[in-house]
Order: sequence, then structure tokens, then C-alpha cells
Amino acid sequence: MHLLAPIRLLAQVTEEPTTEPSGIDLLLPASSELIAGLIAFAIIFVFVWKWVLPVVDKRLAARQEAITSQLTAAEATKLEAESLLADYKQQVARARDDANRIVDEARQAADALRTDSVSKADAEAVEIVRKAREEAAGERQRAAGAIRDEVAALSLAVAEKAMAGAVDAKAHQKLVEQYIAELGALRP
Amino acid sequence: MPADDRIDGYAAAILEVARAEEQLERVGDELFRIARAFEASNPLREALTDPRIPVERKMGVIDDLLGTKTSPLTVNLVGFVVSAGRVSDLPAIADRVAERAANARDKAVAEVRTAVELDEATIARLTTALNKATGKDVEVKVVVDPTVIGGVVARVGDLVIDGTVSHRLEQLRETLNQR
Repeated sequence: MHLLAPIRLLAQVTEEPTTEPSGIDLLLPASSELIAGLIAFAIIFVFVWKWVLPVVDKRLAARQEAITSQLTAAEATKLEAESLLADYKQQVARARDDANRIVDEARQAADALRTDSVSKADAEAVEIVRKAREEAAGERQRAAGAIRDEVAALSLAVAEKAMAGAVDAKAHQKLVEQYIAELGALRP
Repeated sequence: MPADDRIDGYAAAILEVARAEEQLERVGDELFRIARAFEASNPLREALTDPRIPVERKMGVIDDLLGTKTSPLTVNLVGFVVSAGRVSDLPAIADRVAERAANARDKAVAEVRTAVELDEATIARLTTALNKATGKDVEVKVVVDPTVIGGVVARVGDLVIDGTVSHRLEQLRETLNQR
């Protein structure tokens, strides 16, 4: 009510003393008070409209522009952050894939190496056994051959000696006759 | 001079001398036997080919070995070869003489090796059989060679017909070695 105090004072000066109001007059202001109030309101309205509102509007606009700018910057930062996050996630995923791939490759290489080593060891073992068997068989054949040759040589030596002693004149003559008979069967 | 030409030259000379002396068949036969004995006997071959032994000594050996068994002409012809330092060629020269002598009679030499001497009848039948087998008129020259053990082997030029016990034993040895 302190804003209405000057208007009320003005109304009190201009008003003539009247009778005590009653009824609706208790609610309605006096005409002078109303006019003074309207004038004061108009003055304040004009003052606010003319000087206060532009400043407020200007400050609000600046404030709005600053907020908009900040929001835009924040949005850009957010987008950038999201992009960086996406890149980071992509890099992490790629690194994880690479790591998994390297581990898989290493495991496969190890498996291949182990398989290869086992295969080579098996092949070498088979080859060693085969060579040993071949050598054993060859040695057996050589020994058998040597024994056979020795037996043959001994047998023939014995036969030669036996024949040399056994071929008498009669046997000689018989061999010569047999030779002559065999010549008869030959043709030139 | 190539060895073959030299052997031919000596053979031709011996042949002419033997023919002039009308002992061609005998000289040829004896030379053939001496050559085979030379081949078979290492001591004889070493004695006659040793350059440290003088020729006179070698001639003495020949006289001792052949003097009473062979004709003087054959002994002289062998001495000629020995004194010429060609004793190592003696078997080849003897073979060539026998071959030329046989050719002169339109015959081929058949070298027959046996373990024992053959009688005339057997030689005659052998000659007939070899004539039929080779298609040539052969002149058999028998060489006694105990290493054949038994049977006969005949060589006519490059043809060899082997029916000896030693050959059969050798075949048996090869058969056993192949198994």
C-alpha cells in the first residue's frame, strides 16, 4: 500500500469532508483517489514501459542469447564427446578384436606347430623303424647269402675233389662218348 | 711294329721253315703242345721270360725239356723265338702257325682239352662229330689239361663247346649263387 500512499494523500487534499461512507462505497475508492491512482499508474507504467522494459528485454535477450550460445556449445561439446566416445568405443572394439585375433592366431600357430611337431616325430619314428627293418632284412639276406655262398663253395670244392678222384679211365671215356653224342645233336 | 704283325711275321717264318723241311704238320703239332705247356706251367713261363736269366740258360732249359721228345727242328724254332726275346708271344705264335698250317690244308684248328690222353679212334670220332657240329673240316689238337677234371671242351675259332666236369661244376656254382 506504500505505492498508493501519495495518491491517497492527494485524494485527501482534494476531497471535501463528507459523510461516512457505507455499503458498496466501503469497497470503492473515492473518485479523486481513483484518478490519482490512475495517474500514478500511468506514470509508473510509462516509466516501466519506456525505460525498464527495454533494459529488461535487452538483458533477457542477452541472457537468452548467452544461454542459447551455451546450449549450442554444450550441444556441440556433447556431440563431440559422443563422437569421441564412439571413436573410443570403436577403437576399443577394434583393439579387442585385434587382441582376440592375435590370440586366436597365436593359438592356431601353436596348435599347428604342435601338430606339425607330432606329425614329424611320428614320421621320423616310422622312418627309423622302416630303416631298421630294412637294414635288419638286408643284413639277414646278406648273412643268408654269405652262408649260402659258403655252403655252395664248400660243396663244390668237395664235389671237385670227389670228382677228381672218382673220374677214372672208364668214366673219362664215358664222358668223352657222351660229349661226342651231344656234338651229334648240334647243328652248324 | 704292332704285336699282331710281329706274331704273324714269326708264324710265317716258322711255317716256311717247317714246310721247307717237310715237317709242317709235326712242327705245328709240337709247337702247339709246347705253347699249351708254357701257358699251364708257371715255373716254365717265369724261367723263360725272366730277363735276368741269360738266353743260353733258357736254351738249356728248352733242350732239357724238349730234347728227346720233340723233333730237333721244333726245338730249334722254339730256341729261335726264345733267343729273339719273344718267348712271351710263343703261345700266340704257335696258335697262328697251327691256324695257317690248317688253313693251308683247308682245315680249321679245333683245340680239344681233356683230362687224359685220347686214343686215335676217339680222336677220329671226335673229329667227325666236330666236323658235323661246326660245318668245318677241323684238325683236332688235343691238350691234356687236368683242371677240366673230366669230359671235353673244344674251341674252333670263336666257338667253344664245353662238356667238361669243371664247366658243369661252374654252372652249378652260378646256379647256387643266384638262389
